[in-house]
Amino acid sequence: MTALARTAPVTRRRFSWARLAAYAILIALTVVYLAPMAMLVITSFKTLPEFTRDAISMPKSFSIDNFIEAWNKANFARYLVNTVLYTAVSTAIFVITGTFLSIAIARRFVRGSGFLFTMFLIALFLPPALIPQFQLILRLGLYNNPIGYVMLFLVNPIGIVILVNYIRTIPTELDEAAAIEGCSYFRFVIQIVIPLIKPAIATVAVLHAIGVWNELILATIYLTKADYYPITRGLIVFNGIYGNNWPVLAAAVLMIAVPIAAFFVLMQRYIIGGVTAGAVKG
Amino acid sequence: MRYLFGNGAARLAPYLLITPGLLLYLLFALGPSLATVVFSFTDASGLPRLPIHWIGFDNYKEFLTLGAAARENLDALVRTLIFCVSVTVIQFSIGLFVAVLLNQGLRGTKFFRTLFFFPVILGVTIQGLMWTLFLYPIGGPLATVLDWFGLQSEFLGGQPREAFIWVMVVQIWANMGITMVIFLAGLQTIPDEVYEAARIDGAGRGQLFRRITWPLLTPSVNTNLVLTIIGSLQAWQLFYVLISYRPGTQVLGYVVYATAFGQTSGSTAGTTFRQGYGAAAGVVLFLIVLAIGITTQYLLRRREARLLG
Repeated sequence: MTALARTAPVTRRRFSWARLAAYAILIALTVVYLAPMAMLVITSFKTLPEFTRDAISMPKSFSIDNFIEAWNKANFARYLVNTVLYTAVSTAIFVITGTFLSIAIARRFVRGSGFLFTMFLIALFLPPALIPQFQLILRLGLYNNPIGYVMLFLVNPIGIVILVNYIRTIPTELDEAAAIEGCSYFRFVIQIVIPLIKPAIATVAVLHAIGVWNELILATIYLTKADYYPITRGLIVFNGIYGNNWPVLAAAVLMIAVPIAAFFVLMQRYIIGGVTAGAVKG
Repeated sequence: MRYLFGNGAARLAPYLLITPGLLLYLLFALGPSLATVVFSFTDASGLPRLPIHWIGFDNYKEFLTLGAAARENLDALVRTLIFCVSVTVIQFSIGLFVAVLLNQGLRGTKFFRTLFFFPVILGVTIQGLMWTLFLYPIGGPLATVLDWFGLQSEFLGGQPREAFIWVMVVQIWANMGITMVIFLAGLQTIPDEVYEAARIDGAGRGQLFRRITWPLLTPSVNTNLVLTIIGSLQAWQLFYVLISYRPGTQVLGYVVYATAFGQTSGSTAGTTFRQGYGAAAGVVLFLIVLAIGITTQYLLRRREARLLG
């Protein structure tokens, strides 16, 4: 994924109309992509009268009052802690159980491995599990309960597909060598396979974590108590209350977006790698 | 493959290790997914202690044929298809075009790629709120710019058709990055030598694309089409954040959610949760996804066989 910027068709360094046109298009698109984000940042530093007078002018001063106000008006600290907990716990459980599952399936160590793999492959096409899942959680008495909420995120079929495909690229001679050394299955998995598939595990973990972090609908369905809200639900509720005070709302949205942006910059390789790896199935 | 790590009880080790993952998948994903079909034949509600009755095809009959509601459902179905076709065509075209541009070794490629992909990871909440601000109709940013040119729009608060189009815009803005990176990965697999050889033979830019890039890109084309078609048929969360459940704008996915969990967000008081009926709506959506998905796959396979033999 790192070598995306390769030299290809257009000859470099010489002026060409084609290159100029390419830049013109890319810059136009950049405006479309940047404008909503830029307006969020600009608005978050304005006072409400300033915003009402002229929405797109630069703020008079870069005061952080809006951020303080947003932080104080809603329990964002609490929501953030909740989101971090939901994301960490569910991702950890999924990655551990999913890795064990994927190794056995990829290496055909269990009967019916092919069938099991198909079962995960077709998940994309199946009906949404939304309603029966709700009935299940309701009848388990885990509605409006953080544990019940986390249980919704313990599986991720696309993650399994990515892991299995990755493990299949590791030569099977490795298994034989380990077996000849008298290695037990458990040690083989923990000490030999897992270290080798770390990049794939990281990719899958990051993809899964982003999904849990951003989940809004399930949080809306399952968590009605404000103490349990993740950040997404907290923001929507905040929007409902302060919907017309755009500067404060923009500050709140920005506070949540910045950590995600930082995470993206750090993890970009794994995220994009995961999106393209998950796509390679046909 | 042969099992190498001992016999007897040791043979069971892998079974032991897959059990938790498999149980979780059956219990929380595959099981509920298939059970949707069963629920669609019942009068299940969202309340815990109410008994559930088997009512046969009543939900389907009501959903598809009963009065004004059924007409709205059919409208929602048509809207879903319009949404799917428009989003797929536009997102696919822009994604492909941008990927080709970013594969030319231009300066700043990394910046552009990062920027165009970034909205993907923000999630619907932030995407939606960001655009709600941007499209704020009373003196909001875009409204101000339009005003310079003497134009006006109510954006998301306008006529259903107008609001619907803006949701499509946000949907494409938010997801084009996925299409783009998949195409970029595909473009990376085409060796430069192929282009070199064609250029020596005197091929122009248009020919290079039509004769080399487009056919060799077939796997990414297939992946992107299938992902975008299925994704946009099932997408409705941006509707929820941007305009909520407004008459004349709903798509099927939103109908499923709204009937099963109440139209207002989250509040359990006073709303009827018609989960059996919602499940029937979900199955209808699933059948559409299945039919379109299988047809697409079939057509793409045939095309692939013709192109790559």
